[in-house]
Amino acid sequence: MGLVSSGKTPKPLQHLLNYSRKYSLWMLQWGLACCAIEMGAALAGPRYDVMRLGVIPFPASPRQADLIVISGTVTDKMAPAIKRLYEQMPDPKYVISMGSCANCGGPYWDSYSVTKGVDQIIPVDVYVPGFPPRPEACIQGIVLLQQRIMSEDPAERWRGVTREPIVVG
Amino acid sequence: MAESPAATETEPLPELREQAADALARLQAELGDAIVEHAAAFGDVVVRVRRDAWRRSAQVCKQQLGCDYLSFIGGIDWMPTPAVAEEGSADTSTPAQPKEQTYGTAGSDGRYQLLAVVESTRRKSWRVILKTDLPDDDLHADSWVAVYPGADWHEREAWEMYGFVFDGHPSLRHLYLPSEFEGHPLRKDYPLLAREVKPWPGLVDVEPMPGEPAGDEDAPDGGEAA
Repeated sequence: MGLVSSGKTPKPLQHLLNYSRKYSLWMLQWGLACCAIEMGAALAGPRYDVMRLGVIPFPASPRQADLIVISGTVTDKMAPAIKRLYEQMPDPKYVISMGSCANCGGPYWDSYSVTKGVDQIIPVDVYVPGFPPRPEACIQGIVLLQQRIMSEDPAERWRGVTREPIVVG
Repeated sequence: MAESPAATETEPLPELREQAADALARLQAELGDAIVEHAAAFGDVVVRVRRDAWRRSAQVCKQQLGCDYLSFIGGIDWMPTPAVAEEGSADTSTPAQPKEQTYGTAGSDGRYQLLAVVESTRRKSWRVILKTDLPDDDLHADSWVAVYPGADWHEREAWEMYGFVFDGHPSLRHLYLPSEFEGHPLRKDYPLLAREVKPWPGLVDVEPMPGEPAGDEDAPDGGEAA
């Protein structure tokens, strides 16, 4: 993809690439705490069914994933593992921080063991508030992320351009 | 629902269950003066033993009494919580707690205690609660791993959370905390650094309940006025 990395992708091709990326987000299953159960019910369950949006929650390894949903409380003990898994994911990669605990520590903000927000270790693209978030909020987070992917210049990441994170709500 | 006056009276603590009295008698026969104190708690027996008899009491429980299952080993810090909010302040994060050092069932000589519960998988309600005091300047106790192999992780947790050292433990390493963690977070005087940096803000930004008028200062906070 010399065209992409040089930033000279023709507009129609870029549209096609973004369209493909938008509807084939492979989501790494990374259950950290109780939000992981909520994520199973609110995203992968038949009622809300995130696969109709093209999000595929079955990568066998982080090396096949485009999206990681940090669902649940991040502890200092688990933080290195999260960073390692994130670094194994190939670019372009996206992070959704799901729930108050992953956003900022939540009700465990003063605990000795809890990391105060996963954005201290990896960059977050979408913050979904809630304890846990409503299924609609999770879905909105994914839709907003897809809109961003659609409008993205794929070469941005190679140039090191960072965008302001999306906050649902 | 009107409560009857009899229900509000403090109910007397249950006496020792038959099995617990039996277990206590056999423990007393085996351990003798190593038992400092014993008391009843909800029908079970709490036995406080001397620290040098800690491992022997486990052996007696397992071999003579047939308590083949170690339920758990834990630590107790009886020091009152230093950071308790003043009454009437906005800090609602800490529940009301005693301001003086109080000791639970069967008493204690000092601040730190070890607590363990052993029971039988064959005989119903056959269990013993064991305690021992650890002096502040020498938090050592004999490890139970040789008696109950399952004590391994319990003792590692008690070691990292309270700083209790278990002599004879095969590898006293961090279990739940990162290996470079400093301090013993379940001690009452362990500082919660997040609170030092940012005090508890109290109940702020409480939105009005649906259907209640917005902007009314008194309406949203918990409905105590009603």
